[in-house]
Order: sequence, then structure tokens, then C-alpha cells
Amino acid sequence: MSETKIRYICALEPEFPEKLKNIPNAPDGIYVRGCLPDPGKKTVSIIGSRNNSEYGRGAAEYFARGLAKHGVQIVSGMARGIDGISQSTALKSGGSSFGILGCGIDVVYPEENRLLYERILEKGGLISEYPPGTPPRAALFPQRNRIISALSDVLLVVEARQRSGTSITVRFALEQGRDIFAVPGRITDPLSYGCNTLIADGAGIATCPEDILEALGLIQGGRNKHRKLNLNKFSGLSETQLKIIRCLDYNPVSINEIASKTGCDLSDLMLELLKLQLLGCIENAGQGFYILKLEVNGDGSR
Amino acid sequence: MFSSVHSMSLHGINVREVSVEADVSEGGLPVFEMVGFLGSEIKESRGRIRTALKNSGFFLPPKRITVNLSPADQRKSGSHYDLPVAVSLLTAMGLILPEMLSDTVIAGELSLSGKVLSVKGILPMVLHSRKNGYKRFILPLENAEEGGAAPGIEVIGVQSLRETLELLTGERKPEPVHIDISELLKRRQRHSHDFCSIRGQRAAKRAVEVSASGMHNILLVGPPGGGKSMMAKCLPSILPALTEEECMEITGIHSIAGILGSGVVTERPFISPHHTVSSQALSGGGSIPKPGDISLAHRGVLFLDELPEFDTSTLEILRQPLEDREIHISRASGNYTYPADFLLAAAMNPCKCGYYPGQRCTCGETGVKKYLSRISRPLLDRIDIVSYVDEISFDELNDDSVKEESSETIRARVTEAFEIQKKRFQESKIRFNSEMTGDDIRLFCPLGDKEEELLRESFKALSLSARGYHRILRTARTIADLDHSDNINCAHLSEAISYRITGKGIWDV
Ligand SMILES: [Zn+2]
Repeated sequence: MSETKIRYICALEPEFPEKLKNIPNAPDGIYVRGCLPDPGKKTVSIIGSRNNSEYGRGAAEYFARGLAKHGVQIVSGMARGIDGISQSTALKSGGSSFGILGCGIDVVYPEENRLLYERILEKGGLISEYPPGTPPRAALFPQRNRIISALSDVLLVVEARQRSGTSITVRFALEQGRDIFAVPGRITDPLSYGCNTLIADGAGIATCPEDILEALGLIQGGRNKHRKLNLNKFSGLSETQLKIIRCLDYNPVSINEIASKTGCDLSDLMLELLKLQLLGCIENAGQGFYILKLEVNGDGSR
Repeated sequence: MFSSVHSMSLHGINVREVSVEADVSEGGLPVFEMVGFLGSEIKESRGRIRTALKNSGFFLPPKRITVNLSPADQRKSGSHYDLPVAVSLLTAMGLILPEMLSDTVIAGELSLSGKVLSVKGILPMVLHSRKNGYKRFILPLENAEEGGAAPGIEVIGVQSLRETLELLTGERKPEPVHIDISELLKRRQRHSHDFCSIRGQRAAKRAVEVSASGMHNILLVGPPGGGKSMMAKCLPSILPALTEEECMEITGIHSIAGILGSGVVTERPFISPHHTVSSQALSGGGSIPKPGDISLAHRGVLFLDELPEFDTSTLEILRQPLEDREIHISRASGNYTYPADFLLAAAMNPCKCGYYPGQRCTCGETGVKKYLSRISRPLLDRIDIVSYVDEISFDELNDDSVKEESSETIRARVTEAFEIQKKRFQESKIRFNSEMTGDDIRLFCPLGDKEEELLRESFKALSLSARGYHRILRTARTIADLDHSDNINCAHLSEAISYRITGKGIWDV
């Protein structure tokens, strides 16, 4: 990846992002590889836990895909977990994404996101205020978060524990006057504690990409219109298939449980589960668990 | 005077004939010498034999005594030469007529008091003796039931050296022992673990049944305290009853390993090594290697509980036996081959805390990945079926209204599937669907257009790997066999795919 040139853009240059200029403690300049976010397009930062759940993965993919398809640029911190999932999905869905680093722009961290580091330069870019070669240090990450929030129009929190790095980014977003949305979760789930608290404190509730698209002014009509579409997806399914759908959830349910809840013959059940997967209605979460597939509204079968 | 007694020597599971010759002659200094490429335990036996003879009322004459175990180019080991050496000496001393020893093989260890003690490897020795035309085998009484399982040869158990002498001089009437194994195997086996005691878990039970039916290696995943080990322990109870041949084979191996009690093995073995097991214990260890756990599991189940806890280099040694169904061990003393044709069952938690991908898991995706990366890849490559075993819920525990299927009922279906495979592979080297290679799969697993399309779509939509392809078809063949269907249909196929994608995250599906 060394072929892609590293540029330094100082705060006085015209190319320097407008959004970064007017924040408290604005950087003096930034190092850039690839391109900078297009100021003419809307930008959403999607952030969340490094140790996400299956639900968190599904939600991050759902929102990143839905937003990217409407030309929204996705910004995040390239970390493992929600960050990387959102950014990879945005790129896979044909959108663009920007990674804000807490280390030198030529340092790949974490190693498992190497592929993302390569892909992102084709359809987005990497940004850091630290000189090339700076190793990843925990102390630098909180400061980096103010750039993530600053670059965004909306900050979306997908999954967060009670005390986490996410809350730092949220605080910056509040200082910078950015809109905050959170994906709700179960009240018993520690990974959703942060999000549910944000919603209780007044953050927007993100139940589908349309909620955010509407806040960005990209669509009108609100969520109810789209909700109906979402339910249409299940029309045309057989009675058995609907029975299976009814006992599934966005949290994984085991095949033993599906079998005992539906009372289906096992052989039929496995055939129908496969068909539903091929129809794009449900997803295999691994180890014999299935979840409903979060789907972009009106987005065809898969 | 010179004498010769027939005995047998063990080399792994192979048996060879040995003559135990004794010569008592005048002249020279009185000495008791044993020769013939002997292991140290045999050289040490001189004192034991002399004392045993004395305590049985016979004194070795102060003459030149030489015992030779021939052929001399074969290394001999084991404690079973005591009795033949003693008998050979008594014959050389003129107490037994040489013709009483023709067609007779003798094996047994002696205690100082002259008692005959049990030895290892009796059944293979008796079977080999019969093959070589011997008519009679004198062995320790404790081993009589084991030896008596061999048909077509008279097996006589003895308790002491004195008794042996009386038998060979005709003073005592021989009481041959014969065990009718077919009768023994027909008797309804009572298993300590039966599927009727596991409530619910329909999907997991079905997976285990498919695994047993085609001898597909299986991985059970689930939270701690669930039914994983219980499920695995029930596996032998649904495998078809042992054939006589298998019974002899297993008994022989267990006998050589020294873990056979009395009699013969009538149930399929279930061997469950602890995760701290050494590779030696697994494969077979010692300068003259004894059968290891994988050979003790021959024709039965090898169960690895807590799979990620096993040392990956230890599990490496399973690779070759899982391929060849036997294990080759080379030592300075020679090369040994032990059979190791077993069904591999393994169990593990899905993650460190044990609750992934359920709500309660606190590991997160990265934690889960890290945990799963510890498992031996080559081993996973040999597994056809992954199944999730749920936690046992209290409703299920208390619900007495549901009558669960017994192992016997399931075993009947598995046995039928075995029969179908026996017919299918009668011209072939392999025995089970799980052993099919590319050519067999093309021959025995043709798909119709609809099935072909379903498989193609599934590969695309579920991003299955090419390596999963044969695995899915092999398993689908077994599922079709359980259904008594010549053709693999969409339901069979989707069930096989389900067992494959259950492993998503554990391997590349
Ligand atoms: Zn966990």
C-alpha cells in the first residue's frame, strides 16, 4: 500500500475539510491517503463496540448498507468490531468510507483489518493527524475520536457498553453540535446498555436506515411508509415458512429451539430453513443458530 | 535330556510361533541359562521360575540347564513364557512325556508360589494357534473366558504349575472352556447411557444418528453443562451390535493393551482421553508400543471432550490414522501397526464463556474468533457434521409426558443404514459413506436437476467452500440411506448443508 502517496494538508489550505475547522481543539493539519470526504455528500459516522455481538454485526451491516446505497459516506475508526464491519459493508455496497486513525497513516492496526486498509484507498481514504510511523497508542485514540465526530453530519452508535470509548466520541459530537442516533437493544443486554441510555437521554432512535436518511434530509415520508415495505418481504411464503419466521428474532435462535417451537418435522424444517436463507429472509448465525436478516427496505430479495 | 514346548510371541498385534526348548545335561558347572534374543523381563524370570518350581515341589537338578526360545532372530518380550519354560524344564527332567505336548500351546506367568497368573494378548495367541493347526491351548484360568471365545481349539485354564503338571500327566481331567460369542452378542446389551434419558434436543439427536449411520465424524458444540458429553456417551448404544469378527478384533487389542478384564468385549468401545493426554498415550507408547487410545477405540468411538483444550501438536497424530484407519509406529525394536478405525466425536463450548451466539455471551465476536482459532485445523477437516447441543431447559427436565425414543429404536435404523452401505460397497475397499472419495461420490451420489440447482444456489448464497462439497454429498448419501431412498433429494441435501453451515465460524464452511 506504500504506492499510495501520503499528503499533508495544513489547516490553512483550501482543501482542508470545513467541518474540521470550526471545532474546539481543531487539528493544525492532517495526513491523508486516498481522498477526503466529498463535502457535497452527507456523512455518517458509525461506531460501536470492538467486541460486538451477532446482533451488532447485523445492525452495523444493515445501516451501513442502507446508508451507502443512498450515497452517504461512512466514517469510522477502522477498529475491530462495529467500526470495521460498517466500513467494509459500506465499501461492499458500492459506497465510500473514510478511516480516521489514532496512529501513523502507514501503520496497519489491527492486523485483521488489513484488507479493509487496502480496499478503502480505492473508494475513500485514510486520515490521521499523527505523522507517519506513529505506533498505535491507547492515549491517542480518544483525541482521534473528535475528528470522527467532527467529520460527520450524524453520529450513529450501534452497540456500546456502559463505559466505553464510544461515550468519548458521543461527548465530542455533543460539543460539536452533531446529531446523535443510537440503535436500541434489549434492556438486559450489557452491549446495548450504552445505546439504550443514549436514547433515554434524548438521542435519536435508529430502527432502520430510513430514520437516519430522513434526519439527513435525503428521504421524506418517515419510517412507517418503509416499515410496510419491510413486511411485504414475507408475502408469498408458505405456512411452514411463516411459522419458522414467527419464532425467529434478530437475536440468534438455535435449531433445537426452532424445532420444538414449530413442532415441524426435522427434515422439513431443515429444508425450509435452507429455502428461507436462499430467499434472503433469514441468516445462519453459525453453530446452528438462525436470525432474521436485517434488510434494506425495498431492496429486492437479497 | 532335551524337550520342546510350543508357545507364541507377540509383536504388536501380530503373533508368531515360538518353541521353548530346555536341555538338562551333565558336565560342567551347574548353571541355569536362558537364551534367544530375550527382553530383560524374560532374562529376569529365571529366579522366579526356579522358586515357583521349588514351591510346587520340584527342585532343579544341580546340572547344566539351558533354555532357548527359538527362532533366535526374533526379539521376545512379555511375561507369558514362565509357564512354558517351567513345563519344558519338567519335561526335560522326565516328569512329563514329550508326546503329551504335541499339538499343545502353553502361555502364562508364574508367581513365586507356583500360581499361574493372567497375561496379556491371549486371544490373538489362541486364534493364531488354531490357524496353525494346534488342538489345545493351556493358559491361566483368569484368561480362560477370553481364550475360550476362539472356536475350534480346546482351551484349558490352569491355576497353578502343579495343576498344569497333573493335566499333562493325565492325572487331572481337562475341563475345556468354550464361550459362545454369538450367543453373548445376541443377548440384549444394556447400555449405561440411553438416548431415552435425554429430553428434547431433537436436532442434535438427529445429527448424532446421522453421524453413527455413516460413521461421519461429529463435533458437538454447546454451552457448558448442556448435554454434549451425555450425547456422545450415548453414541455406542446406537451403533450396530458387534459382529463376532469385530468382537475378536477388539478383544485382542484390549487384551494386548492389558485393559481387558475377564472375558471378551461385547460392546463398542467408548474411549475418552483427558485433554492433557500425551501423543504417546493417544497413538501407542513404549519401546514396544502398546495400543494407544485411538486403537482402543477401534470399531467404537473416540471422544475428545473440550476439544480446544487439547494440545494441537498432540492432535496432529490423529491425522494419519483418520486417513488410513490404522496407525503405524516405528521403534528401534521394529515397526508396529495397530488398527484404529473409530468414529471421532468431539465436543466444545462455542466460546470462552460458553453462550455464543446467544444473548448471554460476553465474549464478543473477536473473543469468539480467538477462542476458535485454537482448534486443530487438520482435525476439523476430518469432521463432517457439526451440531449444536442446547442447554437443558427445566421444562424439558420436568416434562414427563413426552416419551423419548430409546437407543434401541434408533439403533435399528442405524443398523439398516449399515446394511445398505454394506451392499453398496461390497465390491469396494471402503465400508461407509464417510469414506467415499471423489470417484465413489460421482458413482453413488448422482443428483437430479432440482437437487443440482439447490446445491448450486446454496453454494453461491451461503458462500460454501469447495472443500465442503464432497462432505455435504457424503452426509446427504447417509441421510438418504436412513430414509431408504436410492436418490438424494432436496430434503436430504438441505439437512446435510445444515450440518455443514452449523460449523460457520469454526471452519470455512
Ligand atoms: Zn462467550
